[in-house]
Amino acid sequence: MKELLRVSDLCRKNILKKISFSVGEGEMVAVMGPSGSGKSTLLYNVSGMDQADSGEVWLGDREIVGMSEDDRARLRLTRMGFVFQQMNMLANLNLLDNILLPSVHAEKSRAFRAQQTEKARGLMERFGIGDLSERKITEVSGGQLQRACICRSLMLSPQILFADEPTGALNQTASEEVLQAFLQIHEEGTAILMVTHDSRVAAKCERILYILDGELRSELQLGRYSAEKSGAREQSAAEWLNRMGW
Amino acid sequence: MKKRLIWNDCRENKPVTAAVVIFMTLSAALMGLSVLLFGSLLNSIDKLMETAETPDFLQMHSGEIDRGAIERFAALQPDVDRMQIAEFLNLENGKLSLGGQTLADSTQDNGLCVQNEQFDFLIDLEEKRIRVSPGEVYVPVCYRSEYGTQIGDSFRMDTQELTVAGFLRDSQMNSMMASSKRFLVHEQDYARMKPLGSEEALIEFKLKDGADRNAFSTAYGDAGLPANGPTITWPLIRLMNALSDGMMILIVLLVSVVILAVSILCIRTILLTGLEKDKREIGMMKAVGMARRDIRSLYYSKFLILSGIGALLGMGIVFLISGPLCRQMQELYGRPDHPVRIWLLSVTGTLAVVGMILLSVRRTLRVTERMTAVEALYGTGRWGKKKNRYLFAAAVTAAATALILIPQNIASTLSSPRFVTYMGIGSSQIRIDVRQTEQIDAVTEELLADLEKDSRTEGAVAMETRSYRAALEDGREYSLLIENGDHGRYPVSYREGSWPTGEDEIALSVLNASELGLRTGDTLTVRLNQAEAGETVRCRVCGIYSDITNGGKTAKACFSHPGTVGPPMWSVLYVTLKEGNKPADWTARYQEHAREYGAGIRVTDISQYVGATYGQTILRIRKAAMLATAVSCLVLAAVVLLFVRLTVWQERNDCSLKKALGFLSSEIRQQYLKRSLAYILAGTAAGVFLGLVPGQKLAGLLLGSLGASGFHFIIDPVRVFLILPAVTVTVAVLAARISLNEVDRIRASECCIGRE
Repeated sequence: MKELLRVSDLCRKNILKKISFSVGEGEMVAVMGPSGSGKSTLLYNVSGMDQADSGEVWLGDREIVGMSEDDRARLRLTRMGFVFQQMNMLANLNLLDNILLPSVHAEKSRAFRAQQTEKARGLMERFGIGDLSERKITEVSGGQLQRACICRSLMLSPQILFADEPTGALNQTASEEVLQAFLQIHEEGTAILMVTHDSRVAAKCERILYILDGELRSELQLGRYSAEKSGAREQSAAEWLNRMGW
Repeated sequence: MKKRLIWNDCRENKPVTAAVVIFMTLSAALMGLSVLLFGSLLNSIDKLMETAETPDFLQMHSGEIDRGAIERFAALQPDVDRMQIAEFLNLENGKLSLGGQTLADSTQDNGLCVQNEQFDFLIDLEEKRIRVSPGEVYVPVCYRSEYGTQIGDSFRMDTQELTVAGFLRDSQMNSMMASSKRFLVHEQDYARMKPLGSEEALIEFKLKDGADRNAFSTAYGDAGLPANGPTITWPLIRLMNALSDGMMILIVLLVSVVILAVSILCIRTILLTGLEKDKREIGMMKAVGMARRDIRSLYYSKFLILSGIGALLGMGIVFLISGPLCRQMQELYGRPDHPVRIWLLSVTGTLAVVGMILLSVRRTLRVTERMTAVEALYGTGRWGKKKNRYLFAAAVTAAATALILIPQNIASTLSSPRFVTYMGIGSSQIRIDVRQTEQIDAVTEELLADLEKDSRTEGAVAMETRSYRAALEDGREYSLLIENGDHGRYPVSYREGSWPTGEDEIALSVLNASELGLRTGDTLTVRLNQAEAGETVRCRVCGIYSDITNGGKTAKACFSHPGTVGPPMWSVLYVTLKEGNKPADWTARYQEHAREYGAGIRVTDISQYVGATYGQTILRIRKAAMLATAVSCLVLAAVVLLFVRLTVWQERNDCSLKKALGFLSSEIRQQYLKRSLAYILAGTAAGVFLGLVPGQKLAGLLLGSLGASGFHFIIDPVRVFLILPAVTVTVAVLAARISLNEVDRIRASECCIGRE
């Protein structure tokens, strides 16, 4: 598998201590660890949302740590997608406009906008929220809102999707819907780096990284996901996490 | 999408959006109005002075004139373009009536003149030189509203009568602050009326472009030419014309600057509060990769649109209210000849104000760069230091109170009889001027003796003004009008030092002191006779006072014998009455009685004089004060309304918790109201201080332009310490109370389950 993201000796204050790992093209990787271990901080620093103190992060041929804030923002806009635990959207826009927000800022031409609107409607349809495009964000459920956030993250066809506890604020049914959406995206070849507390969610990934006190302690290779083997994967993940002291 | 985002945001935050638009509109309107009024006034005055060809230098003179000497002097001066000697027939006000109304109460020197041939033309309301026919008279335009005069009315002078054929604009004497008014008649009528009054000459010079008016004035003085009367130059005429309306405009300008500062601060606070509320959304936008510039532009666009609305509304207000404010101005000085240019200037002023607000918004929006996406997303950072919002509301209360007080204090100062002491007039009740009569000294003496015998008078002093020459240290001679008498009895206000008490002391007017470069304690040698080698007295400058009478260049001394410089040019008697005597009644009766001593005697009730001279200015300042009060109250209400609301919004969770614990809405409201009241009271007290102390300095600068220096407010204590502060406190408390209705809408459950 060709390497897409490479992280070397990444440090941030006393939270991340020389972390190194990589993510391959189209690979789905989970980051786990107890609260305060530095999982979210790792995600923010790898994606350039936060400025690391030292180390290197390469996304393809672009090094992120040394970039200016504007360059990092541009890279996030064009090559990365984000899904957060809190479904952050602009309260004054409807669902469709919120999904279109990054695309509208990436390119302002009318033709592009029309094309992106089509794409957004397609994505909403695909993730089961096609009839909610004109709704306000306060008029839809948490699961629907999170799926809308996933649609937004896919608008500019990112190479990698960063997700921070995407199911953390959802009930079980909504979690399952969102997880299915992630698996679909993964199937289509988009790499995913996901921070999660849920071992069942992590078991759907190809690899799990375990972080403790800002250091990468271990990793578990699970291989490509298939629904038939999901029970065995969940068990093996749970056992491994037990050994890690989870 | 941006449009929708802005529209939805405005709809969701109606009060805040309305407050931003109000601030922008007020700032834009006030600045636009100041620029428009200033532009119109100066342009109209300049146009009038250009059409009328106002003289550059004017010497008033009563007495004999050696026309040949003046013409020889003019021929030798390279700067003189044209010269003329215009005649002014001074009439006794008691014998004049206009449309059936007597002019006996007029404090102006009213007289007749004919149209000049070379320059200093009298202009009609169509802005053309007037050609007057026999039997007709043109009346100064300021009398049209004052006496309700109409074309066809009669103008009576004793037994003679003329028909009012129109109104005139007099570039020199249009303002009520100019103490003379010229009525224009035909040469035949002028000749016929001559026996009715005393003639005064206006020796006028039009200088070549670029000529130094001051140098010419000195040359004229040094040439020993007729100078029995005030000297006036072109800039003084322009200043006199500009003053009465100019004062009002300066106040509007002052209000507009303060409102602009308050608006910038308020909009900044509104913006910061909004950013604090939208922190998570900004974090999300940063996280998904929107550039900093794009995020800023989202907010900036909203303010750009609101500022556009504010500018348009502001211009609309200017359009609506400039008409009534300009009407009086245009009646006096005519329409400006570049109205489009002035409007453009006003629009530029409006846009400049809006531009300044937008610049501040742009600067404020830079704070969005201070936080990383993560800090914003998780609410761990702040955009800036947390500021005490109540302190800001207190500061705005202080500014509003001061803005209300300053124009009110200026108006009460100008209305006070004591104000004339800043203008060179003694602090008495009545003033009797003796001019244009034979034997001024003898008449003065008789009048004084008569006054001392009058059982209704409490006291009287006489001052005689003679023209002296001072020998300067560099060998130059300087002509000096010295008023001789007891200056301690009814003193004028001294900027420095005090009145002369000894033979070797002299007090100088501000203009003379600055021209001679003298200060209190310096010495000046005064010649007591005409000859250069004769008797002199070395005087110590004991005081400096402001004076706008007689061209502003005067001096005061108390020589026991006036020397041999010649008879007095004029004299003034100051009189106070015993209690129970009304100055107006006494003045009217004494004016009749004084006729026995000759025609050139004028008895003036000083409070009436103030009313007539500064009446228009006071009226304008009162208008400006009302505008300032209305604007200040509106801004204060908007600011308090907004800030209390923002505070409640920010402390919403605490309020909800208090409700959950059993507090009543009314109890929570009361807590807020008490806290607000403390700051409002402190702000009002600070405002009263600002209005009185720095406000007095500021007003001093404004009134300095009237010639009143060393000025102190003459205040109405009930109004300043009670009524006006009560107005600001009431407005602020009412606004706070209305805003606190928001507390009722907070639910007790919000603190537990969050807001839906």
